[in-house]
Amino acid sequence: MKDLEAGPADTRTRSITGKRMLHALAAASLLGVAGCAGTAPSPGSEPAGEGASSAPASSAAPEAPASAEPTEAAPAASDQAYEDGDFTQVGSYVSPGGTEEIGVTLTLEKDVVTAVTTEPMPSNPTAKLYQERFSGGIQEEIVGKKLDELKVDKVAGSSLTSGGFAEATDRIKSEAKL
Amino acid sequence: MAVGGSFIFEAIGTRWQIDTAVALEPEVRAAIAGLIEDYDALYSRFRPDSAVAALAAGGGRLALPAHGAALGRLYQKLYRLTNGSMSPLVGSVLEHQGYDALYSFTPKGPPAPARVWDEALDWEGPVVTAHGPVTLDVGAAGKGQLVDLVGGLLTDAGHTEFLVDASGDMLHTGATALTVGLEHPYDPARAIGTVQLHGRALCASASNRRAWGDGLHHVIDARTGTSVSTVVATWVLAADTMTADALATALFLAEPEVLAAEFAFDFVQVFSDGHARFSPTLNGALFTP
Repeated sequence: MKDLEAGPADTRTRSITGKRMLHALAAASLLGVAGCAGTAPSPGSEPAGEGASSAPASSAAPEAPASAEPTEAAPAASDQAYEDGDFTQVGSYVSPGGTEEIGVTLTLEKDVVTAVTTEPMPSNPTAKLYQERFSGGIQEEIVGKKLDELKVDKVAGSSLTSGGFAEATDRIKSEAKL
Repeated sequence: MAVGGSFIFEAIGTRWQIDTAVALEPEVRAAIAGLIEDYDALYSRFRPDSAVAALAAGGGRLALPAHGAALGRLYQKLYRLTNGSMSPLVGSVLEHQGYDALYSFTPKGPPAPARVWDEALDWEGPVVTAHGPVTLDVGAAGKGQLVDLVGGLLTDAGHTEFLVDASGDMLHTGATALTVGLEHPYDPARAIGTVQLHGRALCASASNRRAWGDGLHHVIDARTGTSVSTVVATWVLAADTMTADALATALFLAEPEVLAAEFAFDFVQVFSDGHARFSPTLNGALFTP
């Protein structure tokens, strides 16, 4: 565990503005996301939708080709576990200086997450100002690319926000559960 | 590596995923669980029955397993290189500065972290001797060492291609390199770059609070006219996960040159003003406009 071939003086500082080292990006859907699909399908008691009045509520999927089992109030797809739609929840994570929050919005369609957006929501005004500046800076200098547009095998990062992300998705799972 | 099996579980408060070319045998899975349990029983500060809890209560002598010697050596080295900033005595240091059990907020003298280790602790080989109650915190390298121990267990069981991923602290072995995204410090749906991970370890550390807490962000240094900016995220690639884990933290506290004098590693540092610094030998890409 001795010295690096590149000596101390070789460490470079570079404000990331050049085009060098840009990766070719391939599409890949990374975010199958936190087990939103799966888990025990519970045949819901009510179909999705808020305006229940116009919906054929609780009227057993009409021409469901007799799969015998679904008894009564089967929603459109009898084994769908989560409601379709956009869901937003806030998760929190503990950083060395205190608790921070992150907003997560998932779009669910037939138990599949089709879109994810996140929003940093620092509670501390100083942190907020700071994060905005940082976000601005990173967009101008280092560009954050969406993971689902990247071809990566793994992701390495702060387990701080990841914890908040997981918490928010868990809340969405229980909220969207049929 | 064609993944033949994934072993996914929660342990020490984090999610683990072990991908192997050949699915893990049940007895290997059980051995991994036992290994992690033993490590946790040793070092967890949150378990009243742990070995470090006993040190915190009354001090005394603690004989660690053989791997404790490597951990102690690493901490001693980094304690020296960071001028005492990085220490397994974080709890004691805070107490010294007034964050004590009574919340006195009265420093017991000027901050003197360098003395604290000598006064509080001998760590010779795998034996720790605490002079009085001492809160031993190996959080900056312990998870990495545990990943190494799990990797060793896999190797001993005959596995030659695997990735152990303890939520961002990773150890890779095998013929095929992996492309790993570097998570945006504030947005887990984005990456700021990628690195190739092949036959070594990769660890990340990030903190928004540590960066703004010192009040230095966007302050102009009058002597140079440049913006004073602080580190907000780091990644380190090294031969073993314990070292990578510890250096990812050390890069918040010391210059890469200082650490490079005694460790072989690659790194990325991202600063509060949005610029990045990286080792010349880094095999990867940082995204640019």
